[in-house]
Amino acid sequence: MHAQTFFIAFFGLAAVWFGVAVFRTSSMVRSALALLFSQTAIGAMFLAMQTEFLGVLQIMMMATEMSIMAIFMVMYMMDPGGLGAMEMTHQKRFSIAAGAIGGGAALAVAVLTPWGPVVAQAPAAAQQTRALGLELLGRSMLVFETAGVTILTAMIAATAVAVRRREGKAAR
Amino acid sequence: MTTVAVLAALLAGAYAVAVLEAWARTGRMRPGGPLFAAAALIGRESFVPRKPDRLFFEAAPVLLLVAAVLAAAVLPWAPGLVIVDLATGALFVNAAFAYVLVALIMAGWGPDGAYAMVGGWRFLGQLIGYSMLIVMPITAVAMRAESLVTTVIVDSQAGVWNIVYQPLGFVLFFIAAMALAFLPPFDLPTAPGELAGGVEAEYAGRRLAVLRLARALLVVAVALATTVFYLGGWRGPWLPPWAWTGLKTLAVAAAMFALGGRLPRVREAHFLAWCWKLGIPLALLNIFVVGLLVLAVP
Amino acid sequence: MTAALIAALVTGAALFGVGLYGALSQTNLVMIMMGVELILAGALVNLAAFWRFLHPGAYAGQMFVLIVMTVMALEMAVGFGVATARFRAKGSVEMEEAGELKG
Repeated sequence: MHAQTFFIAFFGLAAVWFGVAVFRTSSMVRSALALLFSQTAIGAMFLAMQTEFLGVLQIMMMATEMSIMAIFMVMYMMDPGGLGAMEMTHQKRFSIAAGAIGGGAALAVAVLTPWGPVVAQAPAAAQQTRALGLELLGRSMLVFETAGVTILTAMIAATAVAVRRREGKAAR
Repeated sequence: MTTVAVLAALLAGAYAVAVLEAWARTGRMRPGGPLFAAAALIGRESFVPRKPDRLFFEAAPVLLLVAAVLAAAVLPWAPGLVIVDLATGALFVNAAFAYVLVALIMAGWGPDGAYAMVGGWRFLGQLIGYSMLIVMPITAVAMRAESLVTTVIVDSQAGVWNIVYQPLGFVLFFIAAMALAFLPPFDLPTAPGELAGGVEAEYAGRRLAVLRLARALLVVAVALATTVFYLGGWRGPWLPPWAWTGLKTLAVAAAMFALGGRLPRVREAHFLAWCWKLGIPLALLNIFVVGLLVLAVP
Repeated sequence: MTAALIAALVTGAALFGVGLYGALSQTNLVMIMMGVELILAGALVNLAAFWRFLHPGAYAGQMFVLIVMTVMALEMAVGFGVATARFRAKGSVEMEEAGELKG
């Protein structure tokens, strides 16, 4: 088998396995870190697909993001250690059906579509980084800047929602 | 061959760092100290606390070790003496350092102990402070080199080292690197004296030996990163390149220990406030100034 | 070579399915967000695979991946803001107890 196919499949399996583990453990920190390793496996898939910059970026961003996820789980859950074996799911049968149908539909599209010829050679990694930079600050600059403004908006909105309301004189 | 040489250099560096750390703490230079300490740790029983998250407890020291080695893997000791010369090396260093946080959270959560858990989550707060000050100065370094490849970054410092070209970035990166390796003024996750060792508190025996080795390697990795990004890497007269890298790395580590030993431990809230209110604006200013310099001085 | 593309797309589809199940079945707001993250991760894999195997010359594809990563971060930031507000007001982020949010 082709080495690239093997690595994509291997890390893909790892990503899905960790993704399933997210919902199978009752320990919240385990769940968040399983999601982290799922995302890291996706980063490794990117590396296997020769998109080096995106892969490294994914691996870097998700480490912090999912760790923050973990602390929020611990903050807001009654039983973060999963020692009490609480039931935390609802509408289980409906969810399984929806997941299976959604995943199955995507799978069918993936397998049945004639994808046409596949490009064998990817650009070199350094050239990719350069071209991506030119794309970001050239043709796609407006989209990129919009993303930046959206992040700012979300930061302000999230802070505004999360800070404690001041009520008259008894502020804070 | 290169890999073996670099790993040997890293181990030697970790040994030297352990000697230096003991010197900074006690004022005495004991070259055999780390050997005796390691022998004592390995000889002792490595007990497991009651009701641990066994997976995290076992994996955390190893993950810390792997993160430190991976970060060092893209940093060159001499031309050609680097494990992988990635096209996105400067970014990869950040990615590897991010897993230090994951390892410490695992080490904090795993043993199911109060001190360890406080230490682990404290490091998450610390990361919110220092992470931007790692990334933004490296951005300015990459701007000058016009590349993310670490060897090209060293080559870009042929005339003037980055410590002269962007001193502000160096100061910010140096402080952030100390916080990343949880060295004394920022040793909130371990904090001997108030947390009784924090994330290290529940570890003993050979597991603690791995954790300590990983910590020493982490210090080597951040010192090596400082050397490569700011001190001209392997550049220098007379001595062979690898010797210059080694000397500079040890000098950076010694400076970190010497400085850290003289400062009081920083409080978490103060650290966050300084990082976000002072550090990040300064880092942005640094990027702006370097941008101007890159445009004005071709 | 087509096998590599199919392998990546199958992974994307599986991640989407798992994420959809998680987002629908969990009762806790933060766990629901984890499901959404998995759905977006599936999209990421597909986008990267399309770029690599079908259009390696079009860097807008890579940029699309960056945008999806941004969306993931935004979703987390806003979600945690809402979770914090909810926890302050009600002392829990269980969505079973959030019936009054229905229109």
